[in-house]
Amino acid sequence: MVHPRHNAPLSDTALRVKALESLLVEKGLVDPQALDALIDTYENKVGPHNGARVVARAWTDPAYKRRLLEDATSAIAELGYTGIQGEDMVVVENTPEVHNVVVCTLCSCYPWPTLGLPPNWYKSAPYRSRAVIDPRGVLSEFGVAVPDTTEVRVWDSNAELRYLVLPMRPEGTEEMNENELAGLITRDSMIGTGLPKTRAAGGSAKADTQGRRK
Amino acid sequence: MPVLKADMVETLVNTGASCRADAKVAPRFRCGERIVVRNINPLHHTRLPRYVRGKRGTVERDRGVFVFPDTNAHGQGHKAQHVYSVRFTGRELWGPQASERDVLYLDLWDDYMDPV
Amino acid sequence: MNGAHDLGGMHGLGPIGAEPNEPVFHEEWERRMFGLFIAAFAGGHFNVDEFRHAIERMNPAHYLESPYYEHWLHSCETLLVESGAISRKELDARVAKLEKEAK
Repeated sequence: MVHPRHNAPLSDTALRVKALESLLVEKGLVDPQALDALIDTYENKVGPHNGARVVARAWTDPAYKRRLLEDATSAIAELGYTGIQGEDMVVVENTPEVHNVVVCTLCSCYPWPTLGLPPNWYKSAPYRSRAVIDPRGVLSEFGVAVPDTTEVRVWDSNAELRYLVLPMRPEGTEEMNENELAGLITRDSMIGTGLPKTRAAGGSAKADTQGRRK
Repeated sequence: MPVLKADMVETLVNTGASCRADAKVAPRFRCGERIVVRNINPLHHTRLPRYVRGKRGTVERDRGVFVFPDTNAHGQGHKAQHVYSVRFTGRELWGPQASERDVLYLDLWDDYMDPV
Repeated sequence: MNGAHDLGGMHGLGPIGAEPNEPVFHEEWERRMFGLFIAAFAGGHFNVDEFRHAIERMNPAHYLESPYYEHWLHSCETLLVESGAISRKELDARVAKLEKEAK
């Protein structure tokens, strides 16, 4: 198995990071308050709730959905999500015929403005190696069942395009407003390794790609 | 060199740094064209994964002109060129064990491909 | 380069192991390393392609076994030393000093 060693307190790594920061600050090359602001932004402000708003808008506004599929960068910018690692966006739509999954086999490329920073599993060797060669096995490990008749489409983000999956709207959600719909849309459903929650109380993570509960 | 200050963070975060290039460069490939990925094995930086080298695919969409990482990583300039989303079947990449309905898309620069 | 980072299609690397309700950062040093990379990048010390290539130049076993942000640490240390912004000597001296203070 390949997995990271666990760090002890004040590990070698923690010391090295401290050393690097203190040297760079001393030399006037970085400002620690800028670091604090960056950390706060990505730890507390930017996250998948942004992407969920994009998806909920696309589900309720067909004209927006068309714009999103044609020029994702501009459409996502309409909702105010722009910038680092989202400068060139592509949105790919799940349908009964096609299920999309996104990976970066070479490193960890991920659409930060809409999804925040990626989880460890996305950046680690097992997902990066298997998503391209055994996508159905990977989806199965995530509890997503894809019929044999559905095309599984894997997007390896090896260039600077960043991919966001537009999941299918679950059945029985016609009465829900945009905010309520956004609450159904999980981070994993926008990577392709999950599906939106269903309307049922508590939601259900396990469903098939037709939106039917298993 | 400029030092990032706290009051610059919001603008930086919301602006980012696109790798699109302004250069007017003609594309080498058309949408729908069949290509074969070059079998290159450089010691330098590349964004061409080994699993796709020598494989045949179809150009689906021209994403525009971008900086070329293979040169930009080594102080050799932007060498701006077109990037395309290229479609490969799972069977082309992995053999008959792959599901016949598995497909993979990669973004490939002009310099990574040849016409079939 | 044909490095260990080029993982597509490899076998035997273990289960995906998604952590439920995973925090954005697991350790304080990860937070600081994240900020340091962005600040150094914004400061023009290297471009994103150089940054990635420096990660690719890691010892392959170290690359596969280290936590993610340790890749960023390696890359930033490497590039800042190569550009002359800092020296390996002063970095090592600073680590030694902090190690002593931590005891």
